[in-house]
Amino acid sequence: MRLVEIVVLIAIALAIAFLITVGFKYIIPLTSVRKIAEFYLYATYNSFKLENYTAMSPEAVTAIVWDFRGLDTLFETSVFYLALIAGLALTRGLIIERAESSGYGLSVIVKTVTRITAPMIVAVGASIALHGHLTPGGGFQGGSVIAVLPMVLIVVFSAGFLVLRGVTTSKLIIMRSLGLFGIGLTAIVVFLAGLATSVPAYVFQNMIKPGTGVSMPSHISGVLISGTLWFFNLFEMFAVAAGFSIAFIALMLAKTLETEKGD
Amino acid sequence: MNFAIALYGVFFKPHYVKKVIALTILGDTVNTFAIFIGYRRWVDQTPSRIPVLTDLSSEGVEELRSLAVDPLPQALVLTAIVIGLAVILFLVFLGWILYSHYKTLDMREIRRLRG
Repeated sequence: MRLVEIVVLIAIALAIAFLITVGFKYIIPLTSVRKIAEFYLYATYNSFKLENYTAMSPEAVTAIVWDFRGLDTLFETSVFYLALIAGLALTRGLIIERAESSGYGLSVIVKTVTRITAPMIVAVGASIALHGHLTPGGGFQGGSVIAVLPMVLIVVFSAGFLVLRGVTTSKLIIMRSLGLFGIGLTAIVVFLAGLATSVPAYVFQNMIKPGTGVSMPSHISGVLISGTLWFFNLFEMFAVAAGFSIAFIALMLAKTLETEKGD
Repeated sequence: MNFAIALYGVFFKPHYVKKVIALTILGDTVNTFAIFIGYRRWVDQTPSRIPVLTDLSSEGVEELRSLAVDPLPQALVLTAIVIGLAVILFLVFLGWILYSHYKTLDMREIRRLRG
């Protein structure tokens, strides 16, 4: 380790320590939260006193992510989309999707256990995503959990196993685009309803707001779905799961091609 | 300290994968820090609660308002995690391209090959 490296390391550590020391009064937690957080907590499920501002979601984080600050999340989804498009563009022409027959992969024990756990992974992911407005979780988390499945399948069986089963990158891209289309549609559906019935409504509107006339239903046949939040979580789950699956398949198949070139 | 290690890794570790790992450590450190900022001190020895409403009534809302931690940093961290993941994904693809060009991911080697 060179001297300059040690000096830089110590300098960074001291600088961070200094910052923490100076700003400690913002780090020591207070018994009260900030005004905006208090409003979010108060308004997240308040059909009793605040019915014009509520998101009708018992889970405050999901309410913030998809309702109060929905535009943030929309552009975050766009960033994720663009990063994946960039990755696919970098490996374009190098992904050859071919179906590999059996004979590859780990032992039969691992394969059997994977076959048993595969539906469970999807079930857990879907549960996390579809209960995102009730319990901690949401579309991103559920989609990430589901995206574990193709990674496990690639490791346990082979890189071409998913292609053998008909899961190609083009199909996954279609699924992902459908998810994104659904997110876009959910964002403007209340606005479209407002246009159709000629009452004021906003883009990204969930529940009824002051000055508007329409809203998403918060319950469907007695089941709480929190208006748009349920649909956002559903479509986001599809988009994220398909996106990560594309990334794994692309990386694995591209690497296979590279080693063959080397041979 | 974690922050310092991560920055050190990004700057001085010669290997590309180690740089990416240091970058993830950096992101996780900042995210954890943001979560800490949103924490709430216990009121009258009552533990702070997660910002999830379990009692769907007017009293439950008041209790949540007076006891729950700040949900805003958690939402922002959720956003940050996904964007960080996207960036890492892109960096992995980029590293793969780098490897297929230079047959190595060591920055010193790459500099030597280019020069």
